[in-house]
Amino acid sequence: MSTPRIAISGLHRGENPQPGSGILRSIRLAYPNAFIVGLVYDAMESGIYVENGPDAIYTMPYPTSGAEAFLARMNYVLGKTPVDLFIPTLDSEIELLSHLEDNLSGRGLLTCLPDPAMLKRRSKSRLHKLAEQCGVATPETRAVYDLESARAAGAALGYPLMVKGQYYDAHMIATEEELIAKTSKLLAQWGAPAILQRLIQGTEFNAMGLGDGEGEVIGLCCIRKTILSDKGKGLGGITIRDPKLQKAVTSLIGELKWRGPFEIETIKDERSGEHSLIEINPRFPAWVHFPSMFGINFPATLVEMMTTGRRPPTLPPCPAGHFYLRHQVEVLGSLHQLAELSTSRDFDAIPASVTSKISASLP
Amino acid sequence: MATQLSDLLLNDRGFAFDPVGGDTFQLSVTGLRAVRLLQQGADEASVMDHLLAEYEVDENTVRRDIGSFFRTMEHLGWKI
Repeated sequence: MSTPRIAISGLHRGENPQPGSGILRSIRLAYPNAFIVGLVYDAMESGIYVENGPDAIYTMPYPTSGAEAFLARMNYVLGKTPVDLFIPTLDSEIELLSHLEDNLSGRGLLTCLPDPAMLKRRSKSRLHKLAEQCGVATPETRAVYDLESARAAGAALGYPLMVKGQYYDAHMIATEEELIAKTSKLLAQWGAPAILQRLIQGTEFNAMGLGDGEGEVIGLCCIRKTILSDKGKGLGGITIRDPKLQKAVTSLIGELKWRGPFEIETIKDERSGEHSLIEINPRFPAWVHFPSMFGINFPATLVEMMTTGRRPPTLPPCPAGHFYLRHQVEVLGSLHQLAELSTSRDFDAIPASVTSKISASLP
Repeated sequence: MATQLSDLLLNDRGFAFDPVGGDTFQLSVTGLRAVRLLQQGADEASVMDHLLAEYEVDENTVRRDIGSFFRTMEHLGWKI
């Protein structure tokens, strides 16, 4: 496929960046003529407005609107702008889309996602069971469904501890009062359960990779986070070659027979030196474009896997010692674009040719 | 996880990168010389001999500093 047509979601690159824009950049490196459709949930997603960004943009209904609304909107998008591949990047939409693979492929739209059973086994509330099966350490974890059970779990785990939303958000908690306030907010925002974890002191590590669905890892890039934002986001990272981390990753992916992109987060316990499993995310991380810059392009490999339907050759190991720093810049948008995306009833696409004309007409 | 000293990435100014843990270090001139010697297969006694021969320093000072350096390497998980 010389000119792949690909839909990508999660284009925002703000304080809490999403992976979509990085995926887009990596695909453009390997497929300069790729036609990219950005599927967005908000007209303020910054990746809409970047230079050499998506060729067309469509707003989508939130995944919480359900399958019917999502598929109806997808019918509309495909009717106006046909695409062959879809790379979703947000945990909440992957949850929904994992049930819709057949519906999407019936519309000629291919995805490469874990199935619902795989997703469930790595969910935050079941992760400790999976870790145990794979001989990987993980912090003691409790799933809580209301404030009373949160209070009891907090007392059992002891403070400080971590509390996390079902899909996003993690906070360090020092007191019961803080726990109740944050848990209440997380339950309201992301639904039940919220997850409480014993705090592990140590350095954070990430492993990004691609599973072939048979238990093998097609490529793996491990980093140590070197700079953290006050929200715990990795503003910097450096590639490492840690056999213990690689073993944990291959064991987990092998057990799950994971299909598609993943990000595994661990903390290396400063007392034991062991990696403690924190999360398995069913998507590429926000730093996905980093290894593409030294020639190991995970999104392009995913596209190859999806278009050929075959397992691509295993990517070479990432050499240790490459580092990234997150660099934020401003992008230029126009009111015309914003109005088009915000108010258009039928959410027409904004082709690149139109957005560039609009930009050119700005004072 | 221990890091084999042979895997440590070094430059000539003593900047060191541990590829397993992802930490970076700045070694002193003598620390860099000691690590290079160890990477080439020297043992502790041989490192001492080299440092005594190459620097104007007495044996007690070298013995003390090398002992301290080896303890630091052990703490960092660097294996010869």
